[in-house]
Amino acid sequence: MISIFGLTLEPRKKTSIPLQTAAILVGLVAAFLVSAALIATAGANVFNALGYMFKGAYGDWDAFVETLVQATPLIFTGLAIVVAFRAKVFNIGAEGQFFAGAMAATWIGLHLTGLPGPVVWVLIIIGSIIAGGIWGFIPGILKATLGASEIITTVMLNYVILYIISYLLSGPWREPDQFYLQTAWFPDHCRFPAVVPLSRLHLGFIISLVLAAVVYLLLWKTPFGFEIRSIGINPRASRYKGIRIKKTLVLVMVISGAIAGLGGGSEIAGLHQQLRLDISTGYGYTAIIIALLGRLHPVGVIIVAIFFGGLVNGSTSMQINTGVPVALVHCIQGVVLIFVLTAEVLATYRIRRTEIDE
Amino acid sequence: MMVLVQDIKLAAKPLILLPMSQEEIKEIILRVENLSKSFPGVLANDRISLDIRKGEIHCLLGENGAGKSTLAECLYGTYHPDSGKIFFKGEEVRLASHQDAISLGIGMVHQHFQLVPPMTVMENIVAGTVHKGIGINIRQATEKVEKICRNYGIELPLNNIISQLPVGQQQWVEILKALYVGAEFLLLDEPTAVLTPQEIKRFFSILTKMTRAGLSIILITHKLNEVMDISDRVTVMRKGKLIDTVDTADVTQENLARMMVGREVVFLITNEKVPPGETVLEISDLQVVNAKHRSLLKDINLRVRRKEIIGLAGVSGNGQRDLFDVIVGVRKIASGKILLDQEDVSNSPPWTMLKKGIASIPQDRIEEGLLMEAPIYENIILGIQRCAQFRSGILFNRRKINAFSREKMRDFDIMAGSPLQRVDTLSGGNLQKVILAREFSQNPKFLLASQPTRGLDVGAIEYVHKCLLDLRNSGVGILLISEELGEIFHLSDYIAVIYKGEIMGFCPTEDTTVEEVGLLMAGIRESTP
Repeated sequence: MISIFGLTLEPRKKTSIPLQTAAILVGLVAAFLVSAALIATAGANVFNALGYMFKGAYGDWDAFVETLVQATPLIFTGLAIVVAFRAKVFNIGAEGQFFAGAMAATWIGLHLTGLPGPVVWVLIIIGSIIAGGIWGFIPGILKATLGASEIITTVMLNYVILYIISYLLSGPWREPDQFYLQTAWFPDHCRFPAVVPLSRLHLGFIISLVLAAVVYLLLWKTPFGFEIRSIGINPRASRYKGIRIKKTLVLVMVISGAIAGLGGGSEIAGLHQQLRLDISTGYGYTAIIIALLGRLHPVGVIIVAIFFGGLVNGSTSMQINTGVPVALVHCIQGVVLIFVLTAEVLATYRIRRTEIDE
Repeated sequence: MMVLVQDIKLAAKPLILLPMSQEEIKEIILRVENLSKSFPGVLANDRISLDIRKGEIHCLLGENGAGKSTLAECLYGTYHPDSGKIFFKGEEVRLASHQDAISLGIGMVHQHFQLVPPMTVMENIVAGTVHKGIGINIRQATEKVEKICRNYGIELPLNNIISQLPVGQQQWVEILKALYVGAEFLLLDEPTAVLTPQEIKRFFSILTKMTRAGLSIILITHKLNEVMDISDRVTVMRKGKLIDTVDTADVTQENLARMMVGREVVFLITNEKVPPGETVLEISDLQVVNAKHRSLLKDINLRVRRKEIIGLAGVSGNGQRDLFDVIVGVRKIASGKILLDQEDVSNSPPWTMLKKGIASIPQDRIEEGLLMEAPIYENIILGIQRCAQFRSGILFNRRKINAFSREKMRDFDIMAGSPLQRVDTLSGGNLQKVILAREFSQNPKFLLASQPTRGLDVGAIEYVHKCLLDLRNSGVGILLISEELGEIFHLSDYIAVIYKGEIMGFCPTEDTTVEEVGLLMAGIRESTP
């Protein structure tokens, strides 16, 4: 029990679903108000700016499709986090695993150009899954055998992969006679096909939706997924009931890494066609926000990822029209997380006036 | 250099209370009027009114969840009552915190001790007391504590480290902590749970000495014989309501039991012995050490036959937990063997133990037995989730799982709307039934049951006992680890006693007595063969 300013917080026995929904809405409204204040400090008309943002994100079909383009990598990395966090494995390394997948995809796209397109696509999918999986396996096995905290190792591996890529881009993989740190473009036939004609929305988006279904089935419809969640809920009881904790933890990291890696591969093959250091604007980190806001559920991840994709997409139009910087988006994302999570936690309590003696 | 500090607050309190005259005995030290306290969804205390007389031992009797502890916590300032008044020594008091209660002279010993294990007894006693300045005169404090100990005949090595003391002695530290700051009124929450029968006797005699010196004591318990042994008066609570306060001399155990449960109590379900079958589990020369190579279990030899219950008696913390962990496979053994149906399963992992037919009821059902945030059906299939009977192809078949769960819920009388209900909405008895349903469903050869009835109400205890006896009669061997001697004597065919990781004795239940077992639990072996 917490008492402050004459008010006492008492845990509720049960939090009803309407109450939870209301809490999330209140959190969103509060986040919205803070964001509005931020926009105002940037010197723009708040309604104007938000109007452009909304129009830029969901205003018409093209805008919406572009929002989905922005949401695609977030769905992948968000799903990666869901799998890990459900087992209470705190994979902060989706960013690095994303880059590992991107690296593998680039190599395949650049070197296997002789093969027909669909074969290359499949190879890119497999390759990025394997690369991301390996980048997840390392912290997984370190945790299982040495007890090394995955929070530390995954963050460290994010830097490792970035430096490896920096090295490759500044030397071995660099596009000949190019000033920028980037590889050559790989041929168009190796690129993922567009799913909406004449748009940037590519096969990766469909893959991400399928993957969400797969993650749902894995976690809730298979014995292995049950074991993952069971470890997350109560590792001690799970151990007593014969669940192989270490093996499961390693596999969880591999799966989580593989999903994030596939996200990286999909971005390369669907959008960039070359490897650069700026292919991710911190998708692996934003994914944590997305997964938590999405209540560690694949459907939640899709919804929140599309919302966040809209923020990114809409903010461009906001900047063009009102001069409010795009960077504000990251700020808004953080604000949303803080307010919604706070509201959710508070909803599990009730507030009472503390009786005080005079 | 030690800074000398005179603690005015402490000095103001008389340390040794003088014997009282007749009329003082009737004096009321604490009065509770219409106290109510509710938690979301539960009315834990419903208009409780109660007088505690100076110098009496007043038992609060009731089943788990009757509201005894809540009432005590209200009197100790942990909870704030929703309504009602508390009078201490004739004056109305509002207790905002423990500090308020302590400064009035109210002390409490909780079921879970609040001691700092790596510190000495004295350090624990003085830590947290109200002092001015920055130092404590430990020598003065020690003299004061020694004086209290001498007065009541408490034997306690004041300079020893807490973690090296037996649990029974740790309890004395808790009591001394309260007396040191001048408590005149003690709330003891289930203090006998950690004591052997002999220790209980001694404990009670010291409590009596204290009350003669003017201390008043509320003793919370659910054991009828203790109420009869020690209390002057007893207040019975049931489901948050105060049923009655009576003079102990005027009632019988049966009266109290009826008041406590609210119906006639059939005390014991009959235990008709059956001839045992072949050996199912055999432990020979088992040694277990911890990471620092300190011995946890020494030369354990135990044999459990089919159709037989072996009761393992012992004060908590004497190696029962390690033995449990070894048999279910989560702890490695240093040497020795565990044979299951003649097959060596020593150091097999938990999943192998499970597959080979070892079922287990962990002592802490919430921390070790259940997924509290998951629905009933997931808890029922925990551990057997890979069985083909729950799947179609690689995916779970929810219809099959639900049917299985419904069947188990019916068989084990689990009170819940549907298998989808989360287990954290269930009562303690129903939680244990979920575990029983799960553990019994896989046709085990051997069951390891640790504290299977801890914290359950009378009805649920009867049910669990019946389940255990039925399981035994169906051909399963059972090792029952329990701190409740009544349960051990009632259910077991043989009794083994564990003390400091060693088996002190093993004999048929009918050849021993509670006193004998009690001595062994305290580590005293009689010289007679």
